[in-house]
Amino acid sequence: VSILASVIDSVRGYGRFVERQVRQARTDARFRGQLMRRWRSLHAGIATTTTPTGLVLPRLALPQTDEPAEVARYLFGEGPPGEFPYLNGAYREMYLEQSELKTEEPTRLFAGLGLAEDSNARFHFLTRQQRTFRLSTAFDGPTLYGVDSDHDGVFGKIGEGGVAIDTVDDMQRLFDGFPLDDTRFSASMTINAPAPILLAMYVAAAKRRFGPGVVARLRGTVQADVLKEVQAQNEIIFPLEASLRFLTDMVEFTTQHMPRWYPISISGYHIAEAGATPVQQAAYTLSNGFTYVQLFRERGLDVNRFGPRLSFFLDCGLDVEYLALARVCRKIWAVGMRDALGADAGSQLFKLHTQTSGRSLVAHEFQNNLTRTAIELMLACANATNSVHSNSADEPFTTPSERYVRLAAHAQAVLLEESGLFKHMMNIFGGSPGMQILERELQRAILDEFAEIDRLGGVLAAITHRYQRSQIQAAAHRYESQIYDGTRPIVGLNRYRGDDESQSLPEVHVVRTPRKKKQLQVERVKRFKKRHARQAGRALDALATVVDTGGNVFAELIQTVEHCSLGQITARLHELVGHYRPSV
Amino acid sequence: MTAKHTPIRVLTAVPICDGHDSAINTINLELIHAGVEVIYLGYHRSARDIVRAAIQEGVRAIGISSYNGGHVEFFAEVIDLLRRRGANDVGVFGGGGGTITPSDERLMRRKGVDRIFFAGTPLDEMTQFVRTTYATPRRRARASKRAEDPDQRLARLLTTLKPSAATARGLPLRGRSARKRPRVIGVTGPGGAGKTTLIDELVLRSLGANPAAQIAILSHDPSIVGKGALLGDRATMIYSQDDRVFMRSLATRGHAGGLASVTRRCLDVLRADGRFDVIFVETVGIGQESAPFGSDQVDRTVFVMSPAYGSRLQLQKIVMLDVADVVVVNKSDLAGAKTAVSELRQRFGRRATTKHVLATTASRHGDPGVDELLRLVMTS
Repeated sequence: VSILASVIDSVRGYGRFVERQVRQARTDARFRGQLMRRWRSLHAGIATTTTPTGLVLPRLALPQTDEPAEVARYLFGEGPPGEFPYLNGAYREMYLEQSELKTEEPTRLFAGLGLAEDSNARFHFLTRQQRTFRLSTAFDGPTLYGVDSDHDGVFGKIGEGGVAIDTVDDMQRLFDGFPLDDTRFSASMTINAPAPILLAMYVAAAKRRFGPGVVARLRGTVQADVLKEVQAQNEIIFPLEASLRFLTDMVEFTTQHMPRWYPISISGYHIAEAGATPVQQAAYTLSNGFTYVQLFRERGLDVNRFGPRLSFFLDCGLDVEYLALARVCRKIWAVGMRDALGADAGSQLFKLHTQTSGRSLVAHEFQNNLTRTAIELMLACANATNSVHSNSADEPFTTPSERYVRLAAHAQAVLLEESGLFKHMMNIFGGSPGMQILERELQRAILDEFAEIDRLGGVLAAITHRYQRSQIQAAAHRYESQIYDGTRPIVGLNRYRGDDESQSLPEVHVVRTPRKKKQLQVERVKRFKKRHARQAGRALDALATVVDTGGNVFAELIQTVEHCSLGQITARLHELVGHYRPSV
Repeated sequence: MTAKHTPIRVLTAVPICDGHDSAINTINLELIHAGVEVIYLGYHRSARDIVRAAIQEGVRAIGISSYNGGHVEFFAEVIDLLRRRGANDVGVFGGGGGTITPSDERLMRRKGVDRIFFAGTPLDEMTQFVRTTYATPRRRARASKRAEDPDQRLARLLTTLKPSAATARGLPLRGRSARKRPRVIGVTGPGGAGKTTLIDELVLRSLGANPAAQIAILSHDPSIVGKGALLGDRATMIYSQDDRVFMRSLATRGHAGGLASVTRRCLDVLRADGRFDVIFVETVGIGQESAPFGSDQVDRTVFVMSPAYGSRLQLQKIVMLDVADVVVVNKSDLAGAKTAVSELRQRFGRRATTKHVLATTASRHGDPGVDELLRLVMTS
């Protein structure tokens, strides 16, 4: 039985199990007695909190019922936050103030611009008043595609849209002054095709500053999700088979030597940004996730060792599905991992980072983007996301300026700290009739998508049939047509258009990397190559031997990056494994 | 569209280190529906690749969709390369949602960009712009004293060809001293068998084997009835985007049988050019009864199929199996490949010794089956 077929069976089977519990609660007095004792003790264990206005509230909102069948439906079908199947949340208390159980600081600080020292300065600016350092890095185009800043034709792109990293020296500059060995620090890197090389640079840079013992203490995430690159984002450089081998090598290494690292962030964000519907986003992301689990297991890795190091990344837009999409994903992942893959509790959690939708932002009357992002932020928190990033209103034009980055970060503080929506009671929205209807419909639609992918032979076979790509493209085309024919309202664009004045594009402050800095980066990488010219050839040969003999490429890369630039490494790997061939 | 009007040919692409293809995919479709033939080069493409393709394809304009920054430099580089190669008659337009600001746009217009579309421009406005601005060829400013770019000269000649004339004799070819007699290899087979990938892998090997090799590719895609065409082979043929490869994409424009009505004349011109060692001709995906190549057109024919042809009975119906010099079962990593090869050998019976049946997996880097195919078509 294929992996997706067994996930579908296990989720449907779990639904039948819940129905049996509901019937038993009605008919079996002993079972009913146990159930209601559990229900009362759950209630009894909930502390209270007092709002600033003097209202006393429970810290966890539960369905207001003592009807045994309904209690069974809730406890088994949804589960309180932190309990299987985790529909209401991965953890018991998440955004509550003064929580001792607080496991996550939901705010992530995303940056990446110019050269390494510019991003470093931005990181220091953003963390000035923060208790923790949760840094998230964007890279420029050349880095994302694994080419150096002195590569032919990329000059204009150096440091645009993200930071330019060519060498381990750049990586060291990027995190200069931050305590990489501290448990309060984490570094997240939005990098995919060359992720093993960039993480190797990070490890090598950390070792330089903190010694070899630091490796086991490093904390952070690399995105490294090559399946979604092939399906949506197109930042892939090696053939898929080779890409998956390099990824699996990295996962094998981090599972053994970097227990605090998340070596992959299984991402629906870019799938949604490329035009997928919310259901497609969820279905492709989850099916990719199950496929990775299967690949890593085929390598001989233990699902209970790497399972807890998988994390997810979803988009949150304005469509109604987003009120419950991540909740349903959490349940399907938990049931599938437990019942189809035999994973234990630590591997059943769908740990989620959410970002508000970049695609929903509009250039016209762009201040409306503040409102759009605020609503999306609220939807994301209604889904009990573990962490969230809110976009800046000026992103339709530019790498966010400091002014709008600050407003975006403050939006989270306004929602979680100023407003009383999430800080007093956990699960404030869960269980509403609308939410439950959405959950039922979304689960059905996601399983239907699984079945379609399974009919094509699974995720990898569906990719060769261009299935996911064509579905995403069709959805994107429909979305655009709806904007143009007005059936999808966009305020300021196809509705409530202002006068000509407000229609003209604003002259916002655009963040660009000056020519001089670009030249500096080109000189830096040239100097690095010159300085290491003698050792580079030998280092690349050693890497090639590891690739050819089936050794762990990631372990070798940690050595290679000492003498070779990103572009030198990818060029050698291309010789060995070829180039990715796009499917149009 | 009436027969009198030759469709406008436009090249579209996304710049190097940029994978944002959502907008360009939508715009490609709109242009095709408006009757334009779109040669799509794909994403993550250098200015050099874009300009080379535009010149070889003889397009009237290049459309660039850039979302990853650096657009001022990138568009300028494209225009500069066009000018340096004597192709200043090729227009350049583009867009980038909100990433291209009004002040960028002013700067880019000054550097020679015809038009930048901002976020929220109706798709109709874009297609209308292309149809009116590039309705007729632009006059080329006087070229410099340097000799004309050889790709440019060849491409212009191909553009002027009319299907009516029977041969290319007497065509104004100013060839160079070293004249080569190219081997012409016709590649055909049903859609989805992997012809394009296979040719690209053959090109990679040919370029690698001989540092002086020059290759031409004539590739065909179907026109949509009453509309334009999407000519997308270049986006997949990554190794063929090379200064030593001349590629021309043709839309069938209603011509049946897998080729275009001008194919024969294009082949004559490419053959007569004198610099190519090999010419690959790729047909559109064909049906069982088609035999697209006349025996005088190509030196070798390769029929490419996937293992999924259905029952053994289906093999009896495929005309090309009798005509082709080499039959390739591509995607040999799929289940059923072994069965396919042995059923084919059985079908040929005693002729099996002269007929070559090969299994390849063109999508696999360094596939030995493709090595063998190159040897067969080049030496036998």
